Amino acid sequence: MWFANAKYVLGRVLHGIPIILAIVVVNFFLIRLAPGDAAQVLAGESGAATAEYMRQIREQFGLDQPLWLQFVNYMKNLLVFDLGFSFRHNREISELIMDRLGATALLMGTSMVLSIGFGILLGAIAAVRDRTLLSHVIMILAIVTYATPLFWVGLMLIIVFALNLGWFPTSGIATIGAPVDGFEYAIDVAHHLVLPAIALSFFYMALYTRLMRASMLETLGQDFIKTARAKGLSSSNIVFRHALRNAIIPVLTMAGVQVSAMLGGSVIIESVFGWPGLGLLAYEALFSRDLNLLLGIFFLSSILVVLTNAIVDVIYTLVDPRIRLNGGRHA
Amino acid sequence: MFKSLKSLLSVSTIAFALAVTASSAGAQSPGGTIVITTTPEPATITNALSSAPTTAELATKIFDGLLEYDMDLNPIPSLAESWEVSEDGLSVTFNLRKGVVWHDGVPFTSADVQFSLLEVVKEYHPRGKGNLGPVTSIDTPDDYTVVLNLEHPYVPLMRGLSSLESPIIPKHIYAGTDFRNNEAVNKPIGTGPFKFVEWVKGSYIRLERNEDYWREGKPYLDSIVFRFIADSATRAAGLESGEIDVATFGTINPVEMRRLESLDGISIAVGGYEAISPVMLLELNNQRPPFDNKLVRQAVAYALDRQRIIDTVWYGFGKPAVGPISTFVAGSGAFTDEGIRDYAVDDRLEIAGKLLDEAGYPLKDGKRMSIIHDPAPFGEDWRRMGEVIKQQLGKVGIEVELRNRDYPSFVRAVHNEYDFDMSSSWYIGMADPTLGVQRNTWSKMINPEVPFGNSSGYKNPEVDRLWEAAQTEADPDKRNEYFHDLQRLLVEDSPLIWLMEMDLVAVQRDRVKDLITSPFGIRGGLYDTWVEK
Repeated sequence: MWFANAKYVLGRVLHGIPIILAIVVVNFFLIRLAPGDAAQVLAGESGAATAEYMRQIREQFGLDQPLWLQFVNYMKNLLVFDLGFSFRHNREISELIMDRLGATALLMGTSMVLSIGFGILLGAIAAVRDRTLLSHVIMILAIVTYATPLFWVGLMLIIVFALNLGWFPTSGIATIGAPVDGFEYAIDVAHHLVLPAIALSFFYMALYTRLMRASMLETLGQDFIKTARAKGLSSSNIVFRHALRNAIIPVLTMAGVQVSAMLGGSVIIESVFGWPGLGLLAYEALFSRDLNLLLGIFFLSSILVVLTNAIVDVIYTLVDPRIRLNGGRHA
Repeated sequence: MFKSLKSLLSVSTIAFALAVTASSAGAQSPGGTIVITTTPEPATITNALSSAPTTAELATKIFDGLLEYDMDLNPIPSLAESWEVSEDGLSVTFNLRKGVVWHDGVPFTSADVQFSLLEVVKEYHPRGKGNLGPVTSIDTPDDYTVVLNLEHPYVPLMRGLSSLESPIIPKHIYAGTDFRNNEAVNKPIGTGPFKFVEWVKGSYIRLERNEDYWREGKPYLDSIVFRFIADSATRAAGLESGEIDVATFGTINPVEMRRLESLDGISIAVGGYEAISPVMLLELNNQRPPFDNKLVRQAVAYALDRQRIIDTVWYGFGKPAVGPISTFVAGSGAFTDEGIRDYAVDDRLEIAGKLLDEAGYPLKDGKRMSIIHDPAPFGEDWRRMGEVIKQQLGKVGIEVELRNRDYPSFVRAVHNEYDFDMSSSWYIGMADPTLGVQRNTWSKMINPEVPFGNSSGYKNPEVDRLWEAAQTEADPDKRNEYFHDLQRLLVEDSPLIWLMEMDLVAVQRDRVKDLITSPFGIRGGLYDTWVEK
């Protein structure tokens, strides 16, 4: 079983390679449609540039080369996993991304766990206690949090919990000047993580709650549940052992898709909470036309999406043993 | 501000300047950290190679210049202890301070100055050609003397030698390397009051006290942290909660600044932008209708209510501009408001209407013409100003369509393709009009390759003649006359609309003392700044 899974994942990843390459090619040309280039941004920031300065910058950035040559060079480097150099930051792009990846992964991971966990729980409760006050309250809350803009949730959390109550810091990932390793550091980071993770979870939790409720209601109406009831199984046994495992599949599918969306969603949260993650790096790269950096981040995201989808497939088999990865499903 | 003209090059101003900086002495206690928030996070922190505003805010703590300036923009000593300008104005001799060491312990000498000014700043700094253009060579007769040789007399030279404009960087680290890709660019070594410690990208940069700083007993602070937070409301919350001590201009919306100001323990730090002389303006495309017509340009100048824009959009952080040359440089005598056409008269709307009639744009169905306005993509306040301008110009029948774009698209359309009618922007006027103001109206600055030059495409031989004469004139009084003529001529011709002299104030917690002690303010060395325990 494990061997088969590993083989399957490897196959999926190999299939992913042409997809990723296609994404890279499309991205390369697509983002060059945006008007303006990095040299103009730098010159604009400097407030007073000369023609010579502009020429120097373009030469240094390789912007003076024809597009096809830029493309060939980029692909050549990419094949040996060299993402290139960000002249704006004066650093290797892989370094820049790696520096930020940890923060994003931490925020995303925590929010995923929170939103999926609570989403499943609340959705299941709403389905089991369908048409009760509790279920209505949960569903109204889900609609409200789904419809509330992320930045507003973030700011409200800051005002209430950081400014008025003073329980959490307003922004940042750690206290500046404090030790950067050990238990104390972990506590410090966790302390900074609370508000952004909750804010980011809100929106997705609403989504999972609604999905889970619908899926659970459908499952609870199926014949095998009736059979279970007829066998005289306890209600909790039915819900947890039989219904939940079946109802959870759509939520997992959604979660797989959401990993990539969360990278985007976290731009807002990273911005509001001063969280030094990838979303913000991509956002700044776009507005400074640091195209290589932007491509690097896109490249990483596409890898992430391909990988996550393969992993979600594997998780299916764990949740529902009837699903086989080599295709087909047992009757 | 209107002090009698002092000889700019005189050493006698030193005593006066020392008196100014010493006036606040008394209760300073050493130690402590301040957290400054600024935006955006800079791309690099060596301002010899970049003039981006946040780069300058950081680098001026790490590097020194040959000179600093008092509040009237007269030079005072820094790395140069004294100086002398030759009779013919063709050479300037600087006697350097002895015993100064770089942060890595290597002694500072005249070779560093020669290298920095000639090979780095003049060549690579975007404003280097303006500040040091006529400097042809630099002699170093000994380790502590440098002689700058000039092609022609150049008065602005002595106004552009601060750490902000012409920082001195270590030759032993940069010589023979590719400067921009030298890793020291982001781990700078300077002679300044603070040393670079670490840069956590996306979060903060930390500087700490230079124990060997040449100013005895300074700086007072143990460290300065620059924090980068992308959201303006969060920055305001950080200031309110006390996590941030100082927020630079542009990090917090003007309306929010007024709210914070009313809270206990927070105030507005006024001053510290005199040497930068920031002026906000509207650029009009002089090369195509309708703004190729002087009457239409004047009509716009009449139609706009500057004071109202300042009050409603900028919450009073500024005052109406008289013309291109601002009152910030009044100390040097370059500013004048005499004989200037006054657009803020009571019957300005009637005059604007008449001018537009005369220009061939009669009122039809309440409308005379339509134009497109591209607000500067510097934030929501600029968009809001666009809305106010739309409303004000609508009163005289000019219909305005607003077009908001992101920064690179804006720069390309307005400053490279010159495809615009009206756009807003601001410029750094600098301590001398030749350095900062000239570029907007001198016809030689019409160059689509270079953004933020004379993008309006204004050409006037008389204006060109005056700017060029001021470049090489050695007599300060004569230069000032040229500037006064320029001021009159430009305001009359109205190729651009000068809206307001900007107050680039900061917001600070009251525990921070002596934040603004020089005309550079937060862009100075902050070696006099201290915190209350």
